[in-house]
Amino acid sequence: MGRRSLWESARMSFRSISGSPVRAGLTALGVMIGVASVISLVALGRGAQQEVAGNLQQLGANLLMVYSGEPRGTALVRTNTSNIRPTLTPADLEAIRNIDPELLRLAAPASTANAQLQFENRNAAVTVVGTTPEYTEIRNFRPVYGEFFDHSHVASRSNIVAIGMQVYRDLFDAGTDPLGRTIRINGSAFVVTAVMEEKGAAAQDNSVLIPISTFQRRISGDAAYAMIAVQASEPGIMRELQARIEEHILRLHRMPSMEGADFYVVNQLDLLATVEGVAGTFTLMLASIAGISLIVGGIGIMNIMLVSVTERTREIGVRMALGARRRDITMQFLTEAVLIAVAGGVVGIAIGIAGSWAALRFARIASEVTIPSIVTAFGFSFLVGLFFGGYPAWRASRLNPIEALRYE
Amino acid sequence: MIQLEQVSKEYRMGSETIYALRNVNLRINAGEYIAIIGPSGSGKSTLMNIIGCLDNTSRGRYRLSGNAVAGLSGDRLAEVRNATIGFVFQTFNLLPRLNARENVELPLVYAGVGKAERRMRSHAMLTRVGLSDRMLHKPNELSGGQRQRVAIARALATDPAVLLADEPTGALDTHTGREIMGLLEDLNSEGTTLILVTHDPELAERARRMIRLRDGEIIHEETH
Repeated sequence: MGRRSLWESARMSFRSISGSPVRAGLTALGVMIGVASVISLVALGRGAQQEVAGNLQQLGANLLMVYSGEPRGTALVRTNTSNIRPTLTPADLEAIRNIDPELLRLAAPASTANAQLQFENRNAAVTVVGTTPEYTEIRNFRPVYGEFFDHSHVASRSNIVAIGMQVYRDLFDAGTDPLGRTIRINGSAFVVTAVMEEKGAAAQDNSVLIPISTFQRRISGDAAYAMIAVQASEPGIMRELQARIEEHILRLHRMPSMEGADFYVVNQLDLLATVEGVAGTFTLMLASIAGISLIVGGIGIMNIMLVSVTERTREIGVRMALGARRRDITMQFLTEAVLIAVAGGVVGIAIGIAGSWAALRFARIASEVTIPSIVTAFGFSFLVGLFFGGYPAWRASRLNPIEALRYE
Repeated sequence: MIQLEQVSKEYRMGSETIYALRNVNLRINAGEYIAIIGPSGSGKSTLMNIIGCLDNTSRGRYRLSGNAVAGLSGDRLAEVRNATIGFVFQTFNLLPRLNARENVELPLVYAGVGKAERRMRSHAMLTRVGLSDRMLHKPNELSGGQRQRVAIARALATDPAVLLADEPTGALDTHTGREIMGLLEDLNSEGTTLILVTHDPELAERARRMIRLRDGEIIHEETH
């Protein structure tokens, strides 16, 4: 079959389709809906995946968290460690900080507790985080106003505090300069030295940060840390760094293995992989469901094509008498089916793109249309046309010319 | 040109065998004008289908332009039809969605002729049948006589050696029918072999040679 006759049959099919546009439209409708749903559902899945991954990145770059206690769930950052018995010691922190700087960039201890805040006659229930200055860098959580405490404050157990944006709003009137004001945390007086940036999450916005040393003296009364936040030097070495940390702390805690250990490490990369894996499965599931409607659309095409072959039996007979070979007839009906399916696919792609754009624009639902999903949807509608047009085309080509000519 | 030797065609209907053609011997020379006549059920349609390469013989030999046709595959038969036979049907059999020119070009498409040449040839053929001013009309915009002219132009498009006309005037009034017969006979006088299949003795009288079929056998043959 030469290029010319392929073009010729495409032209003929186009003529025959445009001869009955309503029928062609209805025939293509199934594929249209199928493709549109594949595109928009995959876009939705992608959007969700990106959002979750983005949120995870927001927690800090190349983040590893070392927690006291036994593994609980897979959360990278636990918002509250108040109910954990701290097992991580200053020696552990020291060992971590002494790890090769090619692997480790920063480490900061952190313990949290629930506390009552008081300023003048206002109260707020917040999470108090005791930590060191590296924390802001590691957790990508920086002051927008004022100065975060430094190591000298940690050494001198200063009663100073950096407050989250929500805390600022709860305790102070809008426009009030909070710096230098004294607030009470569980009764102890602290001077506000910084307001932290708004992160949009209560875990940060409704927290206050104080030096770890002050936290241990005033709040927990415990020299151990609930957790240690660690920033790796680059994403590629995170698993190696995790292994090193585990090795060091196991030795210090005189434990044989992570099995039954009194601490555990969660790393961002693994978590990201898990999230993306889950989101990928989710996307695939959505796509499969949409794919089923594509198949139903294909059956619709087959149905109409079979009717069309019957209706045009005489035409087929005439074409055969004039010299159409079986493959000419097959090609004619096959291109017709493919053309309908592909046209439906193209319209479906447009609807899918418009739909996910609308979801983002009007409903603020994250959704991302990807080129591969467009290419795949297009390819699938082509294959649907080919597959479901195949049988009707074959039937047409098998007609006996004499009987076809005599068909009324 | 056309040579049938001991050609039989049989159909099985349950346990019965029906002979549509029995041992037909027929020789048609190039440029002849021959009428095949007989009542319905006489086998003339079957004979026409075999001559037109739409059907295979059950037994016997059929040579067309010196080539054995019996036993050719469906696709080879299609190519032979395309190149050698021009069909003219009682009901015209034009494709309703295509205009006159596109209908005429159809056999050329299957012959693999390029677009420019198709245009040229369809133009020439439609002019030949007197429809140069109707080329872009759809069949339903044409009269019966005009439609049959388009069909004749289509039959001529690949310049076939044989025109096979099956009751070409059957759906036309007497006057138009006479015009169409005149056109076909003109083409014959220009060298195309004309085979006329009809049940109308008056029409058959016009041919220089006439064979009469009954019950699948040639029972009479005469030359004028």
